[in-house]
Amino acid sequence: MYMYNEVFNKKKIREPYLNIMSWAKSLPHNLVIKKKLQAENLFKKIGITFSVYNNFDNAERLIPFDMFPRIITKLEWLHIKEGVTQRALAINAFLRDIYNKGEIIKAKIIPEDLIYKNPAYEVKMIGLKVPNNIYSPIIGTDIIRTDAKSFKVLEDNCRTPSGVSYMIENREIMMRMFPELFHTLNIEPVDNYSAYLLDILKTLAPRKCGGDPNVVILSPGPLNSAYYEHSYLADTMGIELVQGSDLFVKDNITYMRTTKGKQKVDIIYRRIDDDFIDPITFNKMSVIGVPGLFDSYRTGNVNICSAPGSGIADDKAIYSYMPDIIRFYLAQEAILPSIQTYKCSQKKDKEYVLKNLKKLVVKEVHGSGGYGMLIGNNASKAKINLFSNKIKNDPNNYIAQPILDLSTVPIFKNRDLSPRHVDLRPFTLVGNKKNKLVAGGLTRVALKEGSLVVNSSQGGGVKDTWVLRE
Amino acid sequence: MLSRTAENLYWTARYVERADSIARLLEVAYRIHLIPNTDEGYLSEWDSILKASGMKQEYLKKYDQINKEKIEFFLLFDESNDSCIKSCIINARNNLKMVRTAVTLEVWNTVNSWYHDLKNYERDRYSSKDLPEILDWVKKQVNLIKGTIDHTQLINDGFDFIRLGIYFERADFTARIIDVKYFILLPSSTYIGGQVDNFQWSLMLRSVSSYRGFRWAYGNSNIDYKKIIDFLILSSICPRSIFFAVEKINHHIYRLCEFYDDRNIVHKKVNAIYKGLSKCNADEIINFGLHEFLTKFIEDIGNVYTDLESVYFSGTDR
Repeated sequence: MYMYNEVFNKKKIREPYLNIMSWAKSLPHNLVIKKKLQAENLFKKIGITFSVYNNFDNAERLIPFDMFPRIITKLEWLHIKEGVTQRALAINAFLRDIYNKGEIIKAKIIPEDLIYKNPAYEVKMIGLKVPNNIYSPIIGTDIIRTDAKSFKVLEDNCRTPSGVSYMIENREIMMRMFPELFHTLNIEPVDNYSAYLLDILKTLAPRKCGGDPNVVILSPGPLNSAYYEHSYLADTMGIELVQGSDLFVKDNITYMRTTKGKQKVDIIYRRIDDDFIDPITFNKMSVIGVPGLFDSYRTGNVNICSAPGSGIADDKAIYSYMPDIIRFYLAQEAILPSIQTYKCSQKKDKEYVLKNLKKLVVKEVHGSGGYGMLIGNNASKAKINLFSNKIKNDPNNYIAQPILDLSTVPIFKNRDLSPRHVDLRPFTLVGNKKNKLVAGGLTRVALKEGSLVVNSSQGGGVKDTWVLRE
Repeated sequence: MLSRTAENLYWTARYVERADSIARLLEVAYRIHLIPNTDEGYLSEWDSILKASGMKQEYLKKYDQINKEKIEFFLLFDESNDSCIKSCIINARNNLKMVRTAVTLEVWNTVNSWYHDLKNYERDRYSSKDLPEILDWVKKQVNLIKGTIDHTQLINDGFDFIRLGIYFERADFTARIIDVKYFILLPSSTYIGGQVDNFQWSLMLRSVSSYRGFRWAYGNSNIDYKKIIDFLILSSICPRSIFFAVEKINHHIYRLCEFYDDRNIVHKKVNAIYKGLSKCNADEIINFGLHEFLTKFIEDIGNVYTDLESVYFSGTDR
């Protein structure tokens, strides 16, 4: 399989990586080990940890951090930036449409059933007025690189994408360990993310909000895998980090409990899934939500970001229509192409998939985090049979894509540098009449040689990502 | 600030202070072990340590007899004991983790490292040999945490809630340890002033880290229990005395009332306790009955806490 190595071009080191390669090669082996340990201690001391689900212990883990940076040139970045911004705007237009007039369905661009029968479609959102028509203000786009020129979108994340705190902390740690690199290279900063986010959120005040909106982050609590991120963002935005029990709704107004008594809340950046935000309207069993929150939202007293029901836009079945969605709402061609996707719901595609499982990645339509996935080329026969049966039994629940030739960037491995597959997740912010994007993103890296799975829950690590200024 | 934030800060501080108290209790235990003593005195000392920690029932449920190494383990590492040092460290960190944004990075780092370093002291099998080193470490970390709080936190309402946690815990602990000693060691007035009794009182002073302080405050005179009552209950210069803790509680609650611009019931109550103690002397306490006095104090200060909880931690309007 051809794979693109981001550092080399026909055995010659590419220009943006020249400095960093000579730096990496000049590091004595014992220093690499020492710095690695130092980085781990820093992560641990600051408490940058995540929890793994489906695990026997709920211990906190460190996300493995590799010190070799991933570099993106200014030109490459401008291309990515244009592409993800275009997508983010199209996604919001799409969400507005399907919860209102449904033009895209009337125009027969997307089959009706795929929207209206989609479990991620939230009927309670139909016709509801969302502040400034922004449904999903924070979108994490997973991008892969396949050759010198092409960046492709693997996945959109428009519910509650996580990882942005790693983007920022990876940089912090690199700057502390190797300050000399930052003196010589001209690298775009990433620590302005929180300021951008607060700025964007504040443009999304609900109808009945007078004055400066009170913004909070709603977290499920310290046991959640992304809790560190929730607290990091609250801290750097200077806003309260609340849990369901800190909020209550009275006469459709949402308040938080404070030492001064109740205080009105206007905008909630929620990091809780739709199903759990309000036990009265959604999942009755939810103990992390706020009873009555949806009514408060519906009546224009509070804004919930992202809006309930936004998840349909990152559904894997919708993903394959993204070029059409962009064309329909923006009258533009997609700047970043999607990956060819076979929908097992369609007979022809299904037959192709079943015949070519060894050449494909099969994903559950509603899965995430790298769970419930088959990578055909190095899967066991048993696993292929398992998925073959799964697809036959429930074709609508599966899509397949060609096995992707993700680009590689080296990691420090023993005494050498060794290439590993990477992806990139920039975070696009969409507000009222403006959007923002920090120059950078989270680079996830599959630490196992040859592996294409970069998810942290599956043993992936992270790298600092440098967007060069020149 | 969020009510939960205030509450988590308060409990973080309480657990930090409690770890310190348990460490001091264990230090006394260690001393008894070094001093030749009658079996009876030895046993009763361990018994009172368990009582003072408030964990005697739990201990007896789990272990059938008083055993030095078992008690030490029980108070250090036995996670089934909610007040053991390990549980205190875990609880302090869990409370703080919920409200990381309310403390400085330095404060978080000290508490977080305390938690991570714990495993360096916890062996597969506990041995008494390790005790002094562990206790030194715990006390050092507690002082580091408190110092970091005092010198990096904003002196705002959050700071007041932290301080309140420390001093409520301390007032409670000092009251309990005096009560336990009084009850156990002085069942009859004829013993008062005897040799055994002096030794026990000096252990008690050590358990609140005030042995030398007492000497400095009262010169070279003999330890007698009136002076001890005066020192541990009424002294304004002994940082472990009940009065000292109440003075701080009074101060921080007053600050909160100023800050939130309300004159609520909480301050009235604590101010009454404070004024009562200011005017009191050791003879009055003895006439009233030391045990009765302490029981009433524990109840009164408990009521102050209940009000604090309902006013500041519930988050509803008052």
